[in-house]
Amino acid sequence: MTSETNQEFNFYEDELIDEKIAAQQTAIEKEIANEQKLVGDLIELNTLLNEYLAEDTVYRSKITELSERFRYMRKTRGDGNCFFRAFAFRYFETLMGKPDEINKLKDLVNKFTSDLSQLGYNSFTVDDFKDVFIEELEKLNNTSDIRLLEEIFNNSGSSDYIVVFLRLIVSCYLQNNSDFYLAFLETYQSMKDFCSHEVEPMYRESDHIHIIALTNALEIPVGIIYLDRADQEKATPHNFPDDSNPNIFILYRPGHYDIIYRN
Amino acid sequence: MVSIATARIKREFKEVVTSDELTKCKIKLELLNDNFTELKGEIGGPPDTPYEGGTYQLEIKIPETYPFNPPKVRFLTKIWHPNISSVTGAICLDILKDQWAAAMTLRTVLLSLQALLATPEPDDPQDAVVANQYKTNNKIFVKTARHWTNIYAGSTLAAEPEFDSKVKQLIDMGFDNHKSRVALSSHLWNVEHAIESLYN
Repeated sequence: MTSETNQEFNFYEDELIDEKIAAQQTAIEKEIANEQKLVGDLIELNTLLNEYLAEDTVYRSKITELSERFRYMRKTRGDGNCFFRAFAFRYFETLMGKPDEINKLKDLVNKFTSDLSQLGYNSFTVDDFKDVFIEELEKLNNTSDIRLLEEIFNNSGSSDYIVVFLRLIVSCYLQNNSDFYLAFLETYQSMKDFCSHEVEPMYRESDHIHIIALTNALEIPVGIIYLDRADQEKATPHNFPDDSNPNIFILYRPGHYDIIYRN
Repeated sequence: MVSIATARIKREFKEVVTSDELTKCKIKLELLNDNFTELKGEIGGPPDTPYEGGTYQLEIKIPETYPFNPPKVRFLTKIWHPNISSVTGAICLDILKDQWAAAMTLRTVLLSLQALLATPEPDDPQDAVVANQYKTNNKIFVKTARHWTNIYAGSTLAAEPEFDSKVKQLIDMGFDNHKSRVALSSHLWNVEHAIESLYN
C-alpha cells in the first residue's frame, strides 16, 4: 500500500471511531440518567457522608459542620446542566404562591426575549423556550405543592426547556454587557464566540462567569458553598454578588452543583 | 420527548419551505415520513466555487432528543470537499457537533452547509486526502471538485474532459467507474499511481 491509500483508509476508520465514541457516550449518559433523577428528592445533607471514606477527614468534617447550618439538600443529575437546573428549581421554589414575584420575572423574561431577537436570534425558537418557561412558571402562581415542582423539573421536556432558556438569558446578558466580562474570556476572540461554545450548547458545564451573569441578569443573588479538599475547617461560602444576602444556596463539589437548604 | 421534536420540526419545516430567501439560495427541504424524523434537504452549490451549478442532496435524521441534540446530517450526493467524506458523505461542521444549540434550526443548518461549501476549513478536515490536496495542490483540488460537481451533482459547467478520458482508461482495464474516479482524484490524476492503488 502507498502512503496515500493508507490515509484514505484511515479517515474512514476515524469515522467509525467517532461513531463508537458517540455510542459509548450515549451509554454513559443513560447510566447516569438511570442512577440520578434530574432533580432528586429532599434528603438530609449529612447523608453525603456515605460518599466519602472514613479516613477522608477533610470532607467528612466539612460535611458534618455544614449540615448544622444546611440540614437538607437535593441532588441534581451530573449532565453538565446541573448549575442551571439546581438554580432554576430552587428559584422557582421560592416563587411558589407568589404571583407578584412571578409577574416580575415574566416582565424580565419578555425583556430578554426582545433583546435576543435584537441580537438576531431566531424568534420562533426563542419564543418556544420562553413560552414553556412562562407556562411552567404560571402553574406555580397559586400553589405551594412541591410535588408539582418536582414533576416539572423531572419531566425532561419542561426541565430542559427551562435550562435552555436560562442559557439563552445568560448568553444575551453577556453579549449585551461584553465590555465588563471580556476579561473573563481566555481563549475566545469575542463574547459571541464564547457564548456559542460555552453557554448555549446543552450539557456544557458552568463556571464563575455563568453564575455571575445569571445572578446579575435575573437580579437574584446566590450563595455557592464550595466543598473541596482545601485545607480549611469549613466549606467556603461565596455569595454572588459579593455583598448580597441570598436565599438560594448551591453546594459545589469539584465538577458538580447540588441544591442545599439553609436552616 | 418525541412530541417536542415533532412539534419543532413541523414549524422548522414550514419556516424553510415558505421562505423566499431560501428558495433564492436554492435551498429545499422535503419530508420523508409522517412522524417528521427523516427529511431530505437540498442545497445548490454556491456561485464562484467549484460546486457552482451542482445540486446536493442531504440525508437529515432527527434524533429523539431534538432540539437538545443536533440533527444527523450527511451528504447523499458525492462531493470532493475537505470537510465532507468522499466515501460516506459524513460532515465535519461545528454546529452539527459540539456547537449545536437548541435555539438553532434546520434553516441554520442548511445555510451553514451552503456556507461550508464556499469556505472549506482544511485544518479541521473530515476527509484527510481531500484536505491535503486542497492545501498542497489547490489547482488540482479545484479542478477535481468541479469535475465531481459535473459528474455527481448534475452541473453542466466545465466537465474536465481529460479527467473523463483517464477514468475511461481505467474502466477499460476492468475497474469500477466510481472507484476509478476516486483513485484518480486521490492521486492527483496520475494514472499509474491510481492503478497501483486500485491493485492494492
